[in-house]
Amino acid sequence: MSTWLAIVGVGATTFLLRASFIVFADPQRFPRIFRQALAFVPPAVLAAIVAPGILLNQGRVDVSADNLRWLAGLVAIAVAAVTRSVMASIVSGMGVLWFLQWAMG
Amino acid sequence: MSATIDPTPREEFIAGSREVAPSLVGTIPFGLVVGVASVAAGLTPFEGVALSVLAFSGIAQLVATQLIAAQSPLLITVTAAFIVSLRLLMYSAALAPHLAHLTGRWRWLISYLMTDQSFAMTVRRYGEPGDRRHKHWFFMGASMTLFWTWQLAVVAGVLAGSGVPASWSLDFVVVLTFIALLVPVVKKRADFAAALVAATIALATAGFPYRLSLVVGSIAGIAVGLVLDRRHWRRSA
Repeated sequence: MSTWLAIVGVGATTFLLRASFIVFADPQRFPRIFRQALAFVPPAVLAAIVAPGILLNQGRVDVSADNLRWLAGLVAIAVAAVTRSVMASIVSGMGVLWFLQWAMG
Repeated sequence: MSATIDPTPREEFIAGSREVAPSLVGTIPFGLVVGVASVAAGLTPFEGVALSVLAFSGIAQLVATQLIAAQSPLLITVTAAFIVSLRLLMYSAALAPHLAHLTGRWRWLISYLMTDQSFAMTVRRYGEPGDRRHKHWFFMGASMTLFWTWQLAVVAGVLAGSGVPASWSLDFVVVLTFIALLVPVVKKRADFAAALVAATIALATAGFPYRLSLVVGSIAGIAVGLVLDRRHWRRSA
């Protein structure tokens, strides 16, 4: 039941954000400071998702060579910077992670 | 205004589908991963697909999936989805003036279908000269192509999901996808500061329940980016 409430709640949230100005409001009344703040949503949100995903190892920040996801993530960041390709980043990151997991036995 | 720059709805629809086709190379694996992740997090296949149809957003679906798995309270799940989807508000404001002449039903439908890709393409197209009466059909062509590709990829992922062993570490594909999205949006120094602060705060608060670290880190990053940006404007003004 609570799962379904969450599913419907998230669906309604994304819809209302999309419909905000197209259906309901006048974009002229969109304050400038708000527009400026929205420009930082992508870098902030994505970094807040990525950092724990590569740096946390069993709940602790681990930047040693024991943290295979950190090493694979660094390679993927470099590949993303050079190629700008989602596919290349995924293939290189997974390739490095699988290789290291295999090499470490 | 001449006839050559007023294509029929059908021509606009086909042009939109064609324009979106190359980006489907990224849409398909991302949809697969989101489908796999939703089953791995404990959603039933039907719940995973329902979330996909209602939210139609990879990032919102992933975040919601993780929070539902962590048994988060409804308010926290919805708040997290709201924050990661705030960019849609920006898109809505940018497209609204181009759609003001359409009926309410059209505007509801276009709102539902709007995504990062369809927005980017439509804004570019609407910026071109010419008074095209059926340009919303261009949006429909791009969006419907994306919609069906995305939903089918999610269904495929959901069906494959329970058969994927944990030792394959497929959940890491999600992190890698976000890395690929993050790197190109860090352009200015203020973007870098926003990302760095968000990452640091998210790590420092990693022990908080219900993945609140995502919300706290994001807000801190946005705030720092905004402060630096305004200071920059004031100096150059």
